[in-house]
Amino acid sequence: MARPHIEPYVELNDPYRAFKVRGFRGCQYKTLSLDVDTGACTLKIRFPGGYRRSPGLSYSDCEIFVLNGTIEAGDALWREGHYCFVPAGVALPAIHVPQGAEALLMFNDAEPNFEESGDSHDRALREAFTSLNGYEDLPWFGLGRVQPSVATGCLSKLLRQDPLTHATTFLYCMVPQFAQDNISYHDCAEESYHIWGTSWMMQFGELPTGGYFWRPPYINHGAFRCRFGTIALGRTDSKLHNYFHYNPWSNPWENLQRAAGQGYRQRPLLYQWEMTDGHNHPHGPADFEEPGYADAASVARLHR
Amino acid sequence: MARPHIEPFVELNEPFLKFDVGGFKGSHYKVLSLDTDTGACSLKVRFDGGYKRKPGLHYSDLEVFVLNGEIKVGDQVWREGHYAMVPAGYALGAISVPKGAEALLYFNDSEPHFEESGDSHELTLKEAFKSLNSYEDMPWGPGNLVTPSVATGCLIKVLHYDPLTEALSFLYCMTPEFAQDNISYHDSAEESYHIWGTSWMMQFGELPTGGYFWRPAYINHGAFRCKLGTIAFGRTDSKLHNYFHYNPWTNPKQNLLRAAAQVYRQRPLLYQWQASDGHNHPHGPPDFQYPGYYEKNPNIRALHGHFGGESDERDSRDAPMKLPKKKAKAKK
Amino acid sequence: MAKARAKAKAKRVQDLKPPRAADAAAWFKENIALQKKRYAAIVKEQNGLERDRQKWYANFLRIIQTKGFNANGDLRVKIPANLIPKKPKGRSRVVF
Repeated sequence: MARPHIEPYVELNDPYRAFKVRGFRGCQYKTLSLDVDTGACTLKIRFPGGYRRSPGLSYSDCEIFVLNGTIEAGDALWREGHYCFVPAGVALPAIHVPQGAEALLMFNDAEPNFEESGDSHDRALREAFTSLNGYEDLPWFGLGRVQPSVATGCLSKLLRQDPLTHATTFLYCMVPQFAQDNISYHDCAEESYHIWGTSWMMQFGELPTGGYFWRPPYINHGAFRCRFGTIALGRTDSKLHNYFHYNPWSNPWENLQRAAGQGYRQRPLLYQWEMTDGHNHPHGPADFEEPGYADAASVARLHR
Repeated sequence: MARPHIEPFVELNEPFLKFDVGGFKGSHYKVLSLDTDTGACSLKVRFDGGYKRKPGLHYSDLEVFVLNGEIKVGDQVWREGHYAMVPAGYALGAISVPKGAEALLYFNDSEPHFEESGDSHELTLKEAFKSLNSYEDMPWGPGNLVTPSVATGCLIKVLHYDPLTEALSFLYCMTPEFAQDNISYHDSAEESYHIWGTSWMMQFGELPTGGYFWRPAYINHGAFRCKLGTIAFGRTDSKLHNYFHYNPWTNPKQNLLRAAAQVYRQRPLLYQWQASDGHNHPHGPPDFQYPGYYEKNPNIRALHGHFGGESDERDSRDAPMKLPKKKAKAKK
Repeated sequence: MAKARAKAKAKRVQDLKPPRAADAAAWFKENIALQKKRYAAIVKEQNGLERDRQKWYANFLRIIQTKGFNANGDLRVKIPANLIPKKPKGRSRVVF
């Protein structure tokens, strides 16, 4: 498996390390999870006061979420709650951090890398660039974004969704006295960082402020409790579907088979086609709306 | 005004006082707010370990919200998050608190008192008794129960709803990073106790854990912020309607007139009837569905400043809020 | 006699409450006085917040022109500058 199951990991207990990679010298980092095949990773990064970087790009899709402090990126000010999706090859302007800042930094395709450049790469998907303040620019969404749904009291703000894979980056929160009595698993990997607050899952116990997980697909998690409220940044690497059940002892293989069993019952023709014909399409079945989708980075990284 | 505007009051900074009233000896209290006409009050009460009381009743509706500890009431155990609505005259079972507990106690009709009795009063509305754990027995619901609505991120559990006055008792919470950029006021008094968390209002600043307010009708509050989340127990004394606006400097009289202007514009026949005919109905217009509601319901009388019963025979008192007198016609 | 009449007229338990016992009456009197003090302390404390409050109001009036005013739920409406209220003369009051 590309990234191991890291759950729970409370980063606050671990020291920062010096970041000796071009473009990040002077910063400190902690690795929250790392894809040992590609180098894709999720980092917590501390920019020291006075940090500067010339304009430049990365050959990986990159996401950043500002935890505290202010980052000047060209004319823009990224403050607490700011989120950016920077597609591979899109050049960011010069960066300056006058008084220090902490952020989550996610490289989706490769290890941390940086190349000085005033211009974006000509193959960069510029239109996918996203920059907004997750705290201020969006309202909470209270209803189930996904069906079957979490219980009322788990709210979210959608920061970005990949149109091909439905990989999603979102802020979510649990209200005080949140409770959900089921066991959940998904077809996707799921990742979370607790910006503030403690929540509890029946398998893993309490996850406090600074708590993190990278959870591969089909792994049981829940029931859920949150006593005082929690706010967290979450991501999935593909479509999130909630498979709810109540058997604490099922394993990922059984969970995947159960998911397939749902496909068999609920989408019979699709299931039959997949079982009989699918193996002749190593790059995925034809999609008249998205020809050539298998080459997209977000898809390729799931099927490599 | 029956209860003054108490906002904000952070009870954690204040000491408990010894509760020397029959039925409560062996407990301590803090008054959160007190109706100086009727004695109706909101209290935080600490029952010391070993507190015991025999079965008995009150001549007032009573609401209880358990903050911590365990309270044995007859066969039931009331734990953290437990809510009870005990109608006047309803005999509660024997109470014992083996290890101490804290609770919010709301006497809605008169000052704290107690009468030993194994049986409920014959006139008690037994069916109105309610007892549940608000943390465990109910899901959260969206705050748009009332429209115009609060922003998403303020959620609610309705624990008690009075069908006549639409007075509410409810648990509510705000999510981390909750924000609502408007100023609100209501036709009702509003009350809240912060069980946990800090929230901010543009008029009053931050209200932390243990923070409380009793806010009479038509008083501006908001904009609103909550950084890390809050859970609170709230009540209104009548229907909650959100009047939203953006003028920080209006006063309650202006706000009331604006509410009346909305009735004038939106319910013209009702307004005309009230303006022309209403004063001939000191005990409220007739309601074919609830005949005699004024006589039957002390809450309604209290809302209109009329205190029946033998403790107070006043039946006409100044309106809770004096409206601006009509200006004399300007001299030409 | 008066009591019997009251009982015959009564529709609810509240109307039959016996007169206040001495302990309850003493409690009531004491707490009316304490609340009066508390109210005065709150008014004083809130008057002390006035400088911060004026900043909060100014920030609010800025937000409703840029990000918008929460008219209903999450629906935000940007308020044009000519509709922004002006601070009236004199001290503003928040506790009534």
